[in-house]
Amino acid sequence: MITVINQILIFKTNIQTLADKEQIQHCLNNHDAVDQWNIDQQDIDCVLRVISNSVTPEQIISLITNHGFECAELE
Amino acid sequence: MLVEDGFQGFSMNRLTKACGISVATLYIYYKDKDDLIQKIGVEIGTKFFYETLKDFSPTMSFKDGLKKQWENRSRFAIKFPNEVACFEIIRHSTHGDYILQESLKDFKTAMGDFFKNAINKKELVPVSLEVFWSVAYGPLYALLRFHSEGKSLGGKSFTLTKKMMDESFELVIKALTP
Repeated sequence: MITVINQILIFKTNIQTLADKEQIQHCLNNHDAVDQWNIDQQDIDCVLRVISNSVTPEQIISLITNHGFECAELE
Repeated sequence: MLVEDGFQGFSMNRLTKACGISVATLYIYYKDKDDLIQKIGVEIGTKFFYETLKDFSPTMSFKDGLKKQWENRSRFAIKFPNEVACFEIIRHSTHGDYILQESLKDFKTAMGDFFKNAINKKELVPVSLEVFWSVAYGPLYALLRFHSEGKSLGGKSFTLTKKMMDESFELVIKALTP
């Protein structure tokens, strides 16, 4: 059995509203390297969580900031 | 934190600060606040139902079976008061249905069978499940609540003893047996 170990990337964003989320959901849904993602909009940091085995944090940051939002990786 | 501050006061951010862990660490394990609450609820529920069914069988005589239920339930409530309080909060929230579905299946079957067997064997007066539950466990939970608050009526200091449990249990048996 081959187990692919996915990494979980965690970012602090300002994607606060449903309308904000709609702006970025298309490109995350259709991103080949992104297996799963969600944003905890109940949290003060609007934490974006991405599961992928190949995407880099920088790629996600540039994708989100290109839509006009803030995005920084949480350590 | 859930017990002290309720749902609104509880946040992933506050939790990480209280635990001294990073936000990122918490989000590796849980998708979001709802996911965390559901997982905690299912975990406590599974543990509670497992403890409650210990050394219990639906084919036991009514008195022995109910006695075992009293022992198991009170042991759990006294040993894990925070878990019980937390579970109660989650159970009465929008996540209630989900966690009961996930953790309750075997428990429901065992308790349902015990109830039906007792009526069939004529060891229990034929009453509805709700009436049975209220009479069978109401006194136990009332005593456990006094115990967990450390006080009873009018703020009188209170500690639950085995003698009180036995007395209440005998009264319950008297009420429920034909």
